[in-house]
This record gives sequence, structure tokens and C-alpha cells, in this order.
Amino acid sequence: MEQTELQVEIPSVLKQTSCQNIKGFDCVDYGNGNNPNPLENAISDKESYGESIAGSKITKLELQEVVIISLPASPSGLHIGQTKLVLHSEKCENTDQNDTKNPYPQLAKQKKFHSQPILVRENGDRKVVHSEAIRDHRFDPFKTWSGRLERQISNLRGKATQEPDIEAGASERDEIEEAPGVDRYFDALEGPELDTLRATEVSVLPEDEKWPFLLRFPVNAFGICLGVSSQAILWKTLNTSPAMSFLHISPMPNLILWWAALALILFVSFVYLLKIVFYFEAVKREYHHPVRVNFFFAPWIACMFMALAVPPSIAVNLRPFIWYILMTPIFILELKIYGQWMSGGQRRLSKVANPSNHLSIVGNFVGALLGANMGLKEGPIFFFAVGLAHYIVLFVTLYQRLPTNAALPKELHPVFFLFVAAPSVACMAWAKIQGDFDYAARIPYFIALFLYMSLAVRVNFFTGIRFSLAWWAYTFPMTGASIATIKYTMAVTNVVTRSLSVCLSAISTFTVSTLLVYTIVHAFVLRDLFPNDISIAITRKKPKFSKMLSHFRSSSADSKDFDSSISKNSEI
Amino acid sequence: MAQNQRRFNVTNHQIPIPTLHQSTTNTTGTDTGTSTRASKTASSSDLSILTRFHAGYFRISLALCSQALLWKTLAEPTTDARALSSIVRTIPSFAFILLWSIALLTLLLLCLLYLVRCFLRFRSVRAELAHHVGMNYLFAPWISFLMLLQATPFLQPDNRLYRILWCAFSVPIVVLDVKIYGQWFTQGKRFLSMVANPTSQITVIGNLVGAHVAAQMGWKESAVCMFSLGITHYLVLFVTLYQRFLGSDSLPAMLRPVFFLFIAAPSTASLAWDSISSSFDTGCKMLFFLSLFLFASLVSRPALFKRSMRRFSVAWWAYSFPLTILALAATEYAQDVKGVIPNVLMLVLSVLSVVVTLALMVFTALKTNDILPHDDPFVCYNIARGTST
Repeated sequence: MEQTELQVEIPSVLKQTSCQNIKGFDCVDYGNGNNPNPLENAISDKESYGESIAGSKITKLELQEVVIISLPASPSGLHIGQTKLVLHSEKCENTDQNDTKNPYPQLAKQKKFHSQPILVRENGDRKVVHSEAIRDHRFDPFKTWSGRLERQISNLRGKATQEPDIEAGASERDEIEEAPGVDRYFDALEGPELDTLRATEVSVLPEDEKWPFLLRFPVNAFGICLGVSSQAILWKTLNTSPAMSFLHISPMPNLILWWAALALILFVSFVYLLKIVFYFEAVKREYHHPVRVNFFFAPWIACMFMALAVPPSIAVNLRPFIWYILMTPIFILELKIYGQWMSGGQRRLSKVANPSNHLSIVGNFVGALLGANMGLKEGPIFFFAVGLAHYIVLFVTLYQRLPTNAALPKELHPVFFLFVAAPSVACMAWAKIQGDFDYAARIPYFIALFLYMSLAVRVNFFTGIRFSLAWWAYTFPMTGASIATIKYTMAVTNVVTRSLSVCLSAISTFTVSTLLVYTIVHAFVLRDLFPNDISIAITRKKPKFSKMLSHFRSSSADSKDFDSSISKNSEI
Repeated sequence: MAQNQRRFNVTNHQIPIPTLHQSTTNTTGTDTGTSTRASKTASSSDLSILTRFHAGYFRISLALCSQALLWKTLAEPTTDARALSSIVRTIPSFAFILLWSIALLTLLLLCLLYLVRCFLRFRSVRAELAHHVGMNYLFAPWISFLMLLQATPFLQPDNRLYRILWCAFSVPIVVLDVKIYGQWFTQGKRFLSMVANPTSQITVIGNLVGAHVAAQMGWKESAVCMFSLGITHYLVLFVTLYQRFLGSDSLPAMLRPVFFLFIAAPSTASLAWDSISSSFDTGCKMLFFLSLFLFASLVSRPALFKRSMRRFSVAWWAYSFPLTILALAATEYAQDVKGVIPNVLMLVLSVLSVVVTLALMVFTALKTNDILPHDDPFVCYNIARGTST
């Protein structure tokens, strides 16, 4: 290849970085196989972060051909022909600006905007083969204390001290350390669960590569625990309630499901705890997400379901202190979230209301139900009152479908089933508090039934939606409605109510089994049960136009799609 | 006081300063050349201070009257607080009558000042009626009167004079109801979504207090009528305030203490239903617990009140009344549900309310200047709108 010398100063960032990690991004395979990227193979089958890369491949770092595309400053310079190909020789630290074909020498002096390479800082000594030497720093900002802990550990192990942060790395870290405001979440994300990145947005982390497993593990995973433990309650109720004794259900399903739910809860909690320990910044971002924050109630609700579903063979009467332990985190979370609604500001309810908020309300009713089961008197009424007051507010707000509210999905989505959750659990809680299924309990029950029916007859609108782990959370309202129907059957026993109970229980069991099959397929066959969690990787500020362009070029977005999103974005 | 007069003189003749908040005191930098003018206009500036007493000052009377009611309730023999009633009974009844008299005098003084203001600055009163915060405080004197009536040691609830006074104080509340609630859904400029703010809960509290007193008199139907008025509009208001449309964000930072009214409304509803149904049943308990939760929620957000706490103002008196009503509801709760925790709750809340009220009285005595009205916050509306109000 002819190489013409052109002494142009390139930024210090590029002097010290190698940018050949992302296949197809910065590197060009010349097709003749002469200079394949030796790191390609290593990176492409890197499944989880921290695996030691095969050392042998790295030592063979030879001359690397790396392509850095530089775009002129003005948008008018969008002609591909005017861009220069700058080859960066990877031989040594010396800057060598080599130009191959340079048909436009007049552009040589133009200010260049080098596409930012993905930063991989290397230790001073490149010959070191150890995995720490080429540790992936891209995910550092998301780690607890921004990866400082790991650096200190590697320092302690006697490695050469790393370079101080390069400016780009430091700015990325600052970018991550402060969670974005709630407006940014609404601007950057779309979809009923606010988990899809808009076309004009850029992710802070690389999108086309699999992130570390812990980063991909969302808090929605607790939805599985909710789904399975509510099933356990259903089978316990079917077993123990006298009105359903004609079915002769054995206690075995309850027992099996309870142990399965327990295992699931322990596993999911353990993994999420690891995420909190190692990737606290990512957890912080999830907490600030307007939809995901409601899932932080899910672990406690799942534990309460476990307490409600405990098989009679294991324990009959639970101690009240369990109730206090489980309700305390719910109480604290509630103070924070309802207080945000009340005091307005960025997170006022008219702005952030979405069906997932029901999860925060349901916690109150489940707590009331559990407390009443345990024989407590005042505590259940307390939480019932708080839940009822805020439920009325949320219900009215969601029914209004305010124009200021951007988060409601226009099309139907399983998240709407959460509407059924609150009234069905509320009616059971009230019945338990009062002692019998009186009129004040029947009213919410009929409301729950009505909402269920109006969603069930539209079930054909639910097809064609991408499966996600959060769907598990939407099964527990169905199960809750079935359990409420069984309780109602206990109060009003006749053919209609009995058949309704059987029917609803069958539907809910069928749904859960289908979901289980889907989950197993996605987990082991398709291997995309945990896709990259884009919603935590949005930028704090709107990305600059140049960055948007480079993002657009690197992804193969349709230009029409891009144009439409640009125009949509400019209207916001 | 002379310095104040001089300062007021400067501001009196000219076009009033268009500010909604009380101006910063600048008692040192006044010009001495106006001393002759000061003596001539001393009377008019005194009068101008007096006429600047807007309805927000009734917060003081609300606080004091509710305190009197609290002390009376605590001292009642039916209160089953083993420790508390013995403490309260050691306080001589003379002290209680003193408090009641202070409350009565303050209330009468404020009413008088407001009447004077009505005569002399009628335009300001009209502007106040139209303001989304000011209009709600027109309920405050009637609420204070009703509570004072309830707390009176001289009259029994089945006395004829008692009932006449109740009618006299409740009729204005109903009239104001018709005006303000009607505006909520009929009048274009004053739809609820535009004017809703935490002080709107005072309208609800007015109805509920009227219902409470009526039930104690034995007039159950009137009580239920006013209760249903209050609770229905409370439901609508609660939802609206929680939604917090952009239009309702119009509360200035100095008035943040009125957020404590969130606590007062459900507590008053709980008390009212308690006297209507003669027992602290589940509904009352739920309302009481809701107000406890809102109290915890507000107390855990000190940042919300930081700006308003920088300077003493009459808005600080807004802390006292809700705490007292909460303590009253806790008292009723502890009477019904006997146990350690309800009694502790009642003790803590009562002590808190007494301490807060005493602190406010001390502050007022020490910083009288800060609390006096230096500007009429409703005059600017006159100037801005010309004669169109």
C-alpha cells in the first residue's frame, strides 16, 4: 500500500489507544486475508466479561490496519468522497499519520473529527500477557465506584500502575455517575416498558456487543418470582378452600411450586445482589427509570406471596415479625415515590404515570392481606388506607390518559393486566380484615372482574409483541383474579361461581405454563433471555449531531427511519 | 416603630411595589428628610399597616383555636391516657381558660382588622377573593369560630345559644361553598385544574369541621350533609393535587408550609366521621392512617421547606393547625383502640403540636416586625388589572 506521509497531529486519545476491538467498526478487513484482526476471534466469542482472553493470540500483535473515519465539521461535508481514510499504524507509540489516496490535499488542513475509537487502554508494557493488562474498561463507569475498586485490587497485586484517566474516559465516567433526569428517559426511550432506544439516541455502551451478564440482568427478573409464587398461592387455595373441594386437588402442586418459587427468589436475589455490589451505578440508573423503579417493590411482594402460599405441612401460623420485616422496605420506598408524586417537580404523577405504578400500590394491599392473615389489626388497616387513597389517584390518572403523559402505550400490551391486580388483591385484603366477603369487598371484586373481561376479549391485540422478562410480572394479576374468584365462591357458592373459578384458574395456569415454555426457549435455545439492557445506557444529555451521525453510520439504520426520527425529535 | 412608619411612608404614596412577597426589612437605611412628612402621615400609615392584614393571617387564629380545642379534649375525663390526663389535669383550668381567651381575642382582633380592610380597601378584598390562594382563607375565620365554640368551657352542646352560634358560623361556610365549588367546574378562568393548590383543602376542612360540631350537637342530618359535601370535594381535590398539572404549580416557595394542610384534611374527616358514627370505626381509622402517612411523607422531605424557612413569616403559622388536628385525631384513636402504641402516638403528637405552637408564639413575639404586613400582596393585582376586577 502506498503511504504518503502527512504530518498531522492526531489527538492524544488516539496515540494511546488501540481500536481494533469491534469487528467492522474501526477495522477493515481487506478481504485478502492479509491482515486479519487477530483480536476478532478473541472478542467475538467472549461471552462474559472477565474471561481471560487467550494470551497467545494477543502476543501476536503485529501491524494492524485500523481505519478512522474523520468527518468534516459542517453538515454540508457529508459527501463520502471527501472523507479521508487515515490509516493508523499500530507499530508503536509514535504517531504516524499515513495517508493513502489523498485526492483532496486541500482538505488536509481541515479540522478533523475523528470518530472516537472504543477506548481500550493498555498497560505500558504491551508484552504483558495477563488478562488484567487488556481489561475491558468500557463498563467501568457502570461499576460500583466506577471500577476504582478493581483497579485498586489490581494495583495491590503488583501490576504496573495504570495511566491516569484519559480525558475521554473521565468524561464518560462523569456521564455515568449522575443518573439522567426523568425527562431524558422519556426522550430517549420508547415502548410500553420504556426499554427501546429511539433511533436518534446513542447508547453509552456498545450496542452490538453482549454486555457483562450482570449488566444485562434487569430488576424485571423479579417478575418471575411474582408469577411463580402467585401460582403457589392459587394451588394452595384450590387445595384448602372447601367450596372447591369437588376438584380434589392434592397439596402436591402447592408444595412443588412453593419450593420452586423459593429457589427462584433466592437465585434472583443473589444475582441482583451481585449486581448491586459490582455495578451499583447501573442499579442507580434503573432506580431512576420511571417504569423500572416500580419493580423494586417486586422482591418484597414476592416474599409476601411466599408467606401467603406456605404449605400447611411446613408452617401454619407465621410470626408477626416477618410482616414487619417485609413491610419496612415497602414503606420506605412508598414514602419516596408517593412523596415525589405529591411534591411535584420532575416526577409528578401527571407526567410519569404508567401502568407499572400499580406494582407500588399492590404492595400495600398484599401487606394488608398478609397482616390480616397473621391476625394483626391496625397495621393492615394502615396499609390498606394508604394503598386505597393512592390507588384512587392512580386509577383516575391512568383512566384519563392525560396528554401530558407520554408513557402510556398506545397499543395494548400485557402491562395493562396490571390494572386487574390492585382491585383483586384489595378485595381479598378487605374481606380478611372485616372477616367476611361483604359488599365493600364485592365492589372491588366486580371491578377487577370487569377489567379482566375487557382485556381478555381483546386478547388478539396482544399478539405480535416482543417477549420480555417483564411478562412474568403481568401473570400475577390473572392469578390474583382467580384467587379472588375462589374466595368469592366461598361466600356465594353456586354453579356459576364455581365454574368461573375453575375457568379462571385454568386460564391462569395455562398462561403461566406457556410463559414457562417461552422462557426456557429464549433462555437455552435462542439465548436472548437477557438482551442488552439499553434503557440504563442512555446519555445524560442529548447526543450531539456529530455523534448521532456516527452512530447512524455504524448502525445500519434505514435512512427514512432516521429522517423520521430526526423530525420527530425536533418536534419534542 | 418610628422607623417602620418612615419606611411605610416611603412606600405609601407611590405606586406599590409589585411583589407578592413581603419586602425585606430595611429599617436602618431610611431617609431622615421625611421625618416631617412622617408625623403627618403617621396615622394613615398606621392605618395602612392595619388594612394590609390579608386573610392569610387567620392562620394564627386557626392555630390558637385548635390548640384550645386540643387542651380541652386532653383534659376530658373520657380520655383514657393514663399518663397524659393526669399531667393535663395538673395544669390548672385557669391556664386553659387563659388560652381560650387569648384565642378568642386574637380571632376577634383579626376579624376586626379584616372588617376595616373590607371598608377601606375593598378593591384588595375583591382581588383576594379572586386569587387562588386568598379565596380559600376566607373560610378560616369561620373554622376558627366553630372550633372555639367547640372548645368553649361556658356552653354545652345542647344549649340553645350554642346551636344558634353554629348556624351563624356554618351558613357563611355553605355560601362560600356554593361560590367556590361552583367555580371549580363552571367558570372558565377558575377551573379546578387551574386553581387547585394545597390551600384549597381549607374549603374541605371547613365543611368537615361544621359537620363535626353539628354531630356533637346531635343534628345528625346536617352533619351528614356537610360531611358529604366535604368528603366528595376532598376526593376530587386529592386526586387533582396529586396529579399536579402544570397549571397548579403556582404556589410560591414562601408558602410551602401550607403543604401541611395535606395532613389536616383527612384528620378532620376522621374526627367528623367519628362523631357522626359515634365510634372510631374502620373508616375513621383509615382516614387517620392516611394522614399519618402523609405526615411521615412530608416530614421526610425537609428540602421541600428549606426556602420558606429562611425567614420568619406568617406562613410559618401554617405548621401548627394541621399538627394539632392530627393530635386530636390521635386522641380519639387512642380512646377507642386502647394500647401502648396508640397512647404513645397521642402523646408524641400532642407534645409536638404544643411545642410547635409555643415556638411560633415566641417567634411572633420576638420578630413582630417580620410578621407585620409590609405590603399588600393583593394590591399589585389591582394595578395590573386596572379596574377590571
